Amino acid sequence: MKKIKEKSGTDKRFPLVLSIILVFSILGAVVFSVSRKISREMSASAIQNLNENLDLIKSTIESIWNNQAEFQKLMAQEIAIMDEDLESYIRSYQKNRTIVKISLIRTGESEGISSTGDAFSEEGLDFSSGGMTDGLEVSRAYLNYMGTWAYSIKCPVVKDGREIGTLYIEYTYDSIDKSLPDGFYNKQAMLYIMDTQTERFVLKPKGMGERNAGHLNLEDFYRANDIHDEALRREIKNCVENRENIMFYHDIQGKSALNFIWMMNGGTICLIGYVPTEAIQQEVKTVNYYIFILVAVMLAAFFLCCGLYYFNQRQQKKIMDEREKEREQHNKELTEALHAAQLASNAKTTFLSNMSHDIRTPMNAVIGFTTLLVRDAENPDKVREYARKIMTSGQHLLNLINDILEVSKIESGKVVLTREEFALNDLIYSVDTIIRPMANAKSQEFHVEITNIKHEYLLGDTTRMNQILMNLLSNAVKYTQEGGSIWFRIIGLKQYSSQFERIRIEVEDNGYGMTQEYLKTIFDVFTRAENSTTNKVQGTGLGMAITKNIVELMGGTIEVFSEVDKGSLFRVEIELGISESQADKRFWENSGISRILSVVGNIQEIQNIQTFMGDMGISMDTATETEEALRMIQEASDTNRDYHMVLLDWSTADTERVRMAGKIRKALPEAAILLLLTAHGGDNLDDAEELIRLDHTGVLAKPVFVSALKEKVAEIQTEESRENKKAENEEAGDLMGLNFLAAEDNEINAEILAEILAIEGAKCEIVGNGRMAVEVFAESEEGEFDAILMDVQMPVMNGYDATRAIRSLERKDAGEIPIIAMTANAFAEDEKEALNAGMNIHLAKPVDMKLLKKVISQYVIKK
Amino acid sequence: MAACLSAAMALVTTACQSGGKPDMNLAISKEANERIVNMYSPMEKLEPDAENVARNAAEKTFCMAEEKLGITLQYVTYTAEDYQDKSYDDVALARARNDMDDIYLLNPDTIQALGEEGKLMDLSDLECVKNLRDVVKTANTVNGKLVAIPQEVVAYGLFINKDMFDEYNLQLPETPEDFLECCRVFKENGIETPVGANRWWLETFVFAQAFADLYNGGNTEAEIEALNSGESKYSDYMRPGFEFLKKMMDLGYIDAKKAYVSEALEGEKEDFLTQKTPIVMAYWGAANTETAYGNPDFNMLVIGFPSSRGQMPVMPMTGYGVGINAEHGEDAKNMLEVILSDEALQMYAETNKVISPSKNVQVDCIPELRPLNSRIEENVYVLGSNAGMKMEQWGNTCLVVRELLNGATVEECMAEFDRLQEESLAK
Repeated sequence: MKKIKEKSGTDKRFPLVLSIILVFSILGAVVFSVSRKISREMSASAIQNLNENLDLIKSTIESIWNNQAEFQKLMAQEIAIMDEDLESYIRSYQKNRTIVKISLIRTGESEGISSTGDAFSEEGLDFSSGGMTDGLEVSRAYLNYMGTWAYSIKCPVVKDGREIGTLYIEYTYDSIDKSLPDGFYNKQAMLYIMDTQTERFVLKPKGMGERNAGHLNLEDFYRANDIHDEALRREIKNCVENRENIMFYHDIQGKSALNFIWMMNGGTICLIGYVPTEAIQQEVKTVNYYIFILVAVMLAAFFLCCGLYYFNQRQQKKIMDEREKEREQHNKELTEALHAAQLASNAKTTFLSNMSHDIRTPMNAVIGFTTLLVRDAENPDKVREYARKIMTSGQHLLNLINDILEVSKIESGKVVLTREEFALNDLIYSVDTIIRPMANAKSQEFHVEITNIKHEYLLGDTTRMNQILMNLLSNAVKYTQEGGSIWFRIIGLKQYSSQFERIRIEVEDNGYGMTQEYLKTIFDVFTRAENSTTNKVQGTGLGMAITKNIVELMGGTIEVFSEVDKGSLFRVEIELGISESQADKRFWENSGISRILSVVGNIQEIQNIQTFMGDMGISMDTATETEEALRMIQEASDTNRDYHMVLLDWSTADTERVRMAGKIRKALPEAAILLLLTAHGGDNLDDAEELIRLDHTGVLAKPVFVSALKEKVAEIQTEESRENKKAENEEAGDLMGLNFLAAEDNEINAEILAEILAIEGAKCEIVGNGRMAVEVFAESEEGEFDAILMDVQMPVMNGYDATRAIRSLERKDAGEIPIIAMTANAFAEDEKEALNAGMNIHLAKPVDMKLLKKVISQYVIKK
Repeated sequence: MAACLSAAMALVTTACQSGGKPDMNLAISKEANERIVNMYSPMEKLEPDAENVARNAAEKTFCMAEEKLGITLQYVTYTAEDYQDKSYDDVALARARNDMDDIYLLNPDTIQALGEEGKLMDLSDLECVKNLRDVVKTANTVNGKLVAIPQEVVAYGLFINKDMFDEYNLQLPETPEDFLECCRVFKENGIETPVGANRWWLETFVFAQAFADLYNGGNTEAEIEALNSGESKYSDYMRPGFEFLKKMMDLGYIDAKKAYVSEALEGEKEDFLTQKTPIVMAYWGAANTETAYGNPDFNMLVIGFPSSRGQMPVMPMTGYGVGINAEHGEDAKNMLEVILSDEALQMYAETNKVISPSKNVQVDCIPELRPLNSRIEENVYVLGSNAGMKMEQWGNTCLVVRELLNGATVEECMAEFDRLQEESLAK
């Protein structure tokens, strides 16, 4: 495609380039032909001009000669008439610039008289060349007595038809000079008069030619002007011999020149010289200059236009390219978006299909059991049974909705991680508390291993951490067959920074496993492993996507390894900030426990506790046998280094364990605590009931977590704790006589709430929106309501605004009355906003009655 | 593009119209009172593209004068076609005698002849004369009048192909005997004509030998006086030189026949430049100009002529004279005032690398001329012309040497000198 485009671009440019060349060629050809034409015409004009000038000079000189001849004839006639005293007449002549000598030889004599006074003979004068003017013979040129070139004309003196003598008059060539133009072609031309016979240059008129270029004769002219071409010289020679004019081009000193030999007086003498063509065609330079300027201007204009055109094209192309690029990008994005939309649509279709199935299933249960409930309303056992199943199905539906909301929230980037201090052991303990019963329910072995963790207290979002662990572990339980095993490992890795603890969380099972294809999409939303086995498992298909997103949000990584029917391993690596909190240390100091003895069969089980206790400054000894433990207690007592607490493993199948435990109890000081470590469930404690009733003695389920240990220690050490707990359990659910103001716009919800509260012996006034709640409260008497239950999303005024309005009322109990948010907005942010608005606590809908009673008792009774 | 072309057309149209209305009278009037000075000077036969440094140097001073004075100098030149033609000097004499020109560039003999005839103006009142060297003034003073002033002091010397001398292990000759020995060696080594000559300059050998003692012996004035009175004979001075030339001719060291018909440089230049002839004689400026011996393809040296007092430069005085009846006499003198000023002579000497007649102008000469220059700076030289001597030297000796070349005996030549001396004494 690109190639085709380029080719088409080249194709477009080709005619343009061709047309430019064509325009250039035409322009060049026109200019060239015009120049040539002008040059030719000017050349012809120059030749014509020079011909005319030379003819003019020729006519002038011939005219002078003719005049001289006519004058001489007149003088001869005068002499013929005089006949007397001719000698005095001749001698009396005073020379002038033209006629420098007059001589006369009488017929029959060889010597005559001369105006110079000397005797005169024809010797030295050569008339053999045949030069004539006006019928008189002209001699060859000669240097006369004045040192200047001269010629003589002889004229017969005829008297009565008889020649009585010959009159010789000598003329100088210099005299001709005055009749010639002063300066020839602006003094650039060179002009001589040459005696044709002798080829001697006899005159260089003043003002003609450069003054340092004096030439002697024709040969010297050839030499000085580099005329060596034999053919040309032959041509010149022929013309000179035939007394014909010749004009030819020949460069003189590197410049084009018109050379000429121009015959005068029948060829007796001639003009010879050259004229540089630039001297004749002075205008050529100017014309050429202007042609050049014109061409240059046109070319400049042309190139400017080409440049502008090119620039414009380039700009256009750039814009087009950008647009094309933009369009391509747009198309790409659209395609991607379409693809994504299609995928999303497909996924959502699949999801909806799954959800439809998943929602229908519990919904089916709800409706089905409700139907059964109506039918068997009289049978209390069945009613309870159906109600429990309806509750289970409702709970599942709620989870489903929570997950969907969670995904939507993560995807829209609304999740904000909190950073709070937490104890890793607490986290593990809370997870363990939930997962272990689930695993037990499926007869699965649930192993918790904690190794190399150096810091108990860390900083992070516990809720999210909890969510990660719960997702991984609940999946492991779900996707592992009954009787399978699950390993939950928390491993401390080498720290990259002293500020952060690097933790690897591994959840491994030997369950169903996954196919390699599914592994590729396991972290995508709306996916769920589907096969005949797992289809029985309830799930939203969103858990892993949520988990991965949270892990990445925390800057961690998650990997999964799995093989079908062999099991799966999820590995999360994450860095959590290390808390500098000293709370634990203070707790142990306050509790007065600084020495602990643990009596366990497998030391690995308490290794993490041992490491942590070491950090707290508490020494922890271990014994594997009860005898050994007794001995160590005795030794400690003897050295006044009593143990403050003993952890005794109760899971060993030792028949003597009760007796030995009793011994240990007795050996220990009264204030020392004895904790029996049981396998989870504590179902084998029947034989230890008496022991447990003793003071400072308790039971703790394995694995042992520091937080659980702390809790247990605190519980044992505080006498009231047991009492309080009992009271709390008893009091929870006792809302008798309390009066609530409830803002709830949904009538069913309002009715449910009113019924539940009525069951608990409490009164409740329901209002439909926030404003009414404010108004009712404002109008009520002080202390009339014990608490306000506030929905958030309501018409007219929402719960937040209503709370703010109530809190801002000017009455004593406005700032004190507990306001409990009861809302379907179940996120942490919603909770935060509720608290910011002035509410005391946030409860998510649907209302958990147990939790509600607990909260109410906590706030209202506290009040 | 159309806009650009329109603009160009508009410009052209405007340009065409901008000429405006022509004047009524289109005749170009010429300056009526153009001041002209004519100068007669020689012109060598030109080679195309060759540069004549001497002419260029003179030309620069003429241009300076033209610019300063507003006068146009016009050349009248003459070149003899061959030896049978009238010589430049002949024509110079004829033209000066007939008042044909204003300024003449004259050789020593014509200076003396025309000076004696009173055909040249006295130039001693020119300002530039104050700067002239005494020898220049002495040589050009005729009957108490300074009739000519040169732009350069012309010194003749022997032009030597040093490479050829070195090739045959020859020392540069000091005496006539040394010179003959060198010629013998060259001749024996196949050099057909060791000395190239023309019909003009062989007399320099004669002057060197004739007047070496006269000008350098410390008794110059007395000896000249003796010659002017007839007490001493020129022939006695001239004889050794003529005998020397005769011997050279007889031994074939000079081609007498060729020399007799050769114009200056014509007969010997080519052989010297092509290294067929190791020795020629010429004037100082010939070493500087391409039209003569400038830039040869070998090591060239210019030395004095052999004499009893060693290498001897011969210095004839040329010079510019102004015709006594010159049509533009005053302008001609003004012209000379400029071209002979120190400023002009400095420019001339720098261009031509010659010895200036002004004592205020000094320039370095080219390396080839240093041997000759060093002798002149030592004040060792003979004059080729001396207007103080009654018998003209330069022209007459030249003519007598030609007779020798033409077959006359030394005795006949000496007889001619005696006749000339008598003739001059008789005037």
